[in-house]
Amino acid sequence: MAKKILIVEDDKFLRELIVRKLSHEGYDTIEAADGEEGLRKIKEDRPDLVLLDLILPGIDGFEVLTQKKEDPFIAMVPVIVLSNLGQKEDVDKGLNLGATDYLIKAHFTPGDIIEKVRNIIK
Amino acid sequence: MSKITNESAPVAVENARNFADQTKEVEILEADLAAADDKSREIAESFEKQIKEQARELRAKIKESEDSRVALMNMLEDMEDLRRRAEEEKEKTLAIIANFSDGLMFFDAEENLELVNSRMEVYFEIPKGAGSKIVGKKIADLGVVPALKPLVELLAKESKPVFRKELFMSEKAVFEVSLSDISGFHGKIGSLLIAHDITREKSVERMKTEFVSIAAHQLRTPISAIKWTLRMILDGDLGPINSEQRDFLEKTYKSNERMIVLINDLLNVTRIEEGRLIFDLALVDMGKIAQSLAVSYIDIAKQKNINIEIEDSRGAALLEARVDVEKIKLVISNLIENAIKYTPAGGKIIVAAGEIGGNVEVAVRDTGMGIPASQYERIFTKYFRGANAVKMETEGTGLGLFIAKNIVESHGGKIWFESVEGRGATFFFTIPKPSSPAGGEKTNVA
Repeated sequence: MAKKILIVEDDKFLRELIVRKLSHEGYDTIEAADGEEGLRKIKEDRPDLVLLDLILPGIDGFEVLTQKKEDPFIAMVPVIVLSNLGQKEDVDKGLNLGATDYLIKAHFTPGDIIEKVRNIIK
Repeated sequence: MSKITNESAPVAVENARNFADQTKEVEILEADLAAADDKSREIAESFEKQIKEQARELRAKIKESEDSRVALMNMLEDMEDLRRRAEEEKEKTLAIIANFSDGLMFFDAEENLELVNSRMEVYFEIPKGAGSKIVGKKIADLGVVPALKPLVELLAKESKPVFRKELFMSEKAVFEVSLSDISGFHGKIGSLLIAHDITREKSVERMKTEFVSIAAHQLRTPISAIKWTLRMILDGDLGPINSEQRDFLEKTYKSNERMIVLINDLLNVTRIEEGRLIFDLALVDMGKIAQSLAVSYIDIAKQKNINIEIEDSRGAALLEARVDVEKIKLVISNLIENAIKYTPAGGKIIVAAGEIGGNVEVAVRDTGMGIPASQYERIFTKYFRGANAVKMETEGTGLGLFIAKNIVESHGGKIWFESVEGRGATFFFTIPKPSSPAGGEKTNVA
């Protein structure tokens, strides 16, 4: 069965691109355009992995990570942060909140992202 | 004046004799008289002469004293004039100080506060009447007025002359403070403290920095979209493309990568301007960082037929320093990338690390185009690019060395270069070693 990946990203085009790439690589994808929707879909759809943007309308990615960490039913779902916040303080904060990896959008290609995803869910 | 007596014969003889005698006597007397007369005339003359002499002297003296009286009067008048002028000057000076658009404090030669102008009182919100409380006090004692405490603290940290030090009181009160000695013809008169209001400049600067920061952040999302799209097309995710299309898209991709670098540089500049460039200091081995970075550039340099060599003069010593690793890596990368950019094919780059006088020193030496002497001074300024650099390599933001300088200086270090135009350049930077080895601290090797 294909692995299920949730993409939480408010920019429609970026979402489309990454969905396209993931589908092309054989993954199932679910999309969310803001933090609340993202958190709800983690709970309802139980994805195998979440690609999470940080700057989001409503509750932001850091808050999603915090709430996910506190909920034992979903705490174990791996998250790759995919953001353009590139400062070390942001990266450290993301990783401390339980993110498995932290990728800066402008520094990685869709191919790089797939590789990271593949490494986490084999 | 002779006198003739009328007498008879014998008597007459006698008389005649007597007369003769008398005549003689008279003659003698006359002669005497004449002599006396002469004498008295002489005396009178000499007396007169003397008197005249004395009168002349007296007149001369009178004239002299008259002259000196006039001179004295003139002098008095001049003095009065000078005094009035001095008074006017003093009033003028006081009026200038009082109405000056900067806050001023004047300290006398003994460093006691002599004058505070009203602008100063307004700037520092010195309560009415408190002014007299601080007059006569030394700088260190001005804190009796709480409003002046930040100023006292700032000045305690600086040594004179203080030049344009920023004093942040609040969002609505930022000053540039200068303090310097004032000297007259006869040495030090005192010192003058100037507080210049830069609140508006600061807020404009902050807005500009915020704008650049937000703009750069906002640009990252669409630029990421472009990058991902181009990459996916180039990777064939969206179907096959022909070689001409590939060629163009590759160039577009590279162009976009440059834009990403530019945006990162701009963000770093805004961080420098916001004073939040450096955080997260860790004790690391700078030699290892320099080495591993140099190694990571070997392949890129080879594509341009440039050799990168690593020189390690430290021996067994650890080149430890307390640094923000990410930022220091940025400095070294900037220097190596510049060296690769501005060195023609066949050239050589040497990356060296060592310890010199309590500092860790990293040097990047190249055999490139070098820096024209006329541009030495501007090489570390923002957006500056050497004329020869612009000609040879159109890429580059002019921000790399500016960022590097700020990072190094934030660590208390120094950055400089040596260059011969046409033969190459060596960029050095130092980071002070921790004064005492930090016990038990783990060494991060990046």
